[in-house]
Amino acid sequence: MMIDVKMTVNGQERTASVAPETTLLTFLRDSLVLTGSKLGCDVGDCGACTVIVNGNAVNSCLMLAVQADGKDITTIEGLSDFEHLHPLQAVFEQMSSFQCGFCAPGMIISAKHLLDKNPHPSKGEVQEALSGNLCRCTGYTKIVDAILELTSEEASAA
Amino acid sequence: MRPFEFVAPETAEKAVAILAENSPNAKPLAGGTDMVVDLKHTNAVPKVVVDLNKIEEFRGIEMTDRGLRIGSLVTHTEIMEHPLVAEHAPAMIDAARTIGAVQTRNLGTLGGNLVTCVPSLDSGPVLVALDAEVTVVGNDGRRQMPLTEFFVGPRKTALNPDELLADIIVPTAMLGRATHFLKFGLRKGQALALVNGASSLRLDGGKVADARIALGAVAPVVIRAGKAEDLVNGTDADEAVLAEAGDLAAGECKPIDDFRASADYRRDLVRVLTKRTLETAYAIAKDKG
Repeated sequence: MMIDVKMTVNGQERTASVAPETTLLTFLRDSLVLTGSKLGCDVGDCGACTVIVNGNAVNSCLMLAVQADGKDITTIEGLSDFEHLHPLQAVFEQMSSFQCGFCAPGMIISAKHLLDKNPHPSKGEVQEALSGNLCRCTGYTKIVDAILELTSEEASAA
Repeated sequence: MRPFEFVAPETAEKAVAILAENSPNAKPLAGGTDMVVDLKHTNAVPKVVVDLNKIEEFRGIEMTDRGLRIGSLVTHTEIMEHPLVAEHAPAMIDAARTIGAVQTRNLGTLGGNLVTCVPSLDSGPVLVALDAEVTVVGNDGRRQMPLTEFFVGPRKTALNPDELLADIIVPTAMLGRATHFLKFGLRKGQALALVNGASSLRLDGGKVADARIALGAVAPVVIRAGKAEDLVNGTDADEAVLAEAGDLAAGECKPIDDFRASADYRRDLVRVLTKRTLETAYAIAKDKG
């Protein structure tokens, strides 16, 4: 069985015919070759596959591609072009918030989702917002610091 | 994932007809946070997956003449952000906030959480403490039942394979009732409850009346601690009463030993949780005057 879907991915309309058993993550990675979103735990615990669907951060490994029909999706690839990093990407780089980098796309998408909803989060709010994203390298400190650094920079610039 | 057929009907009636036609080889899909994991990692893959997300009547939160109605497809995030819930049943927000993490709360639904019927489900205790009722839709029409009857056993609800949970109603009489929820897990984020629970009460002449103490993860389904409730009714919920209520509740639950915690530890947590939730519910009630 194949089902036709049409969705907007990073501002571009995409159409495809997908098997129902394809997750949104598999569709993004294998069909659209957007390999920034990662397959980690495959059960919705690690957050490496996090993307934004209609304004909500979700685990793309828990959503079927057919369920994304008609939806608006943002992946890590949608945050920047080849010339400019998104401010979150820049601050993560500047603060050395990555080590292996596997969790980073999901972390940055979750951070973007947080800042879209709450531009000036407290440290506790940042930690809560990232609780669905696991990192086995950094101990989280530099990730949380980077987000707080960005929001305090923006506050002082304003 | 093994192949399956996928349908996304637009009405509840169509959905239950498809479920009946393909029973027992059809399963409904709501938020997918449990169901998609099952589709990937268990052998029990249904022939037909019936996506409920196009059924508009399963959405929305609104005030009705029976009480606050919450559609089964409402996500935990929607509950957390909804003004009617904040005004009339704020303890539901405290419970929703402890479920999974942001991403799973954005996908997972209240109906889905209740239908999994795992003993530790975090949305259960507050709803039981508020006498919530549910509407079930099937091929013979609709029926209503108290949530306590909907919960039958671990992973077992009163739903027949061709029935769906349509909505959850917090009755008018329970809206705005002083309620407090607590959850004890091994971490703050993404933890299953070792014990969760909620107490609700009202005041009658300054004394506790109609107390409800609902406990999760310490019995096959969410239970009420009836003896502890009887004890606190008619009192000022002072230190001695609360301590005894905690002891009684610990005796009324039937926790299991597993890799997360021992039964003894869970009983201790019940003691503390009962005391704290009653204490806070009482303080909220006093505050309201």
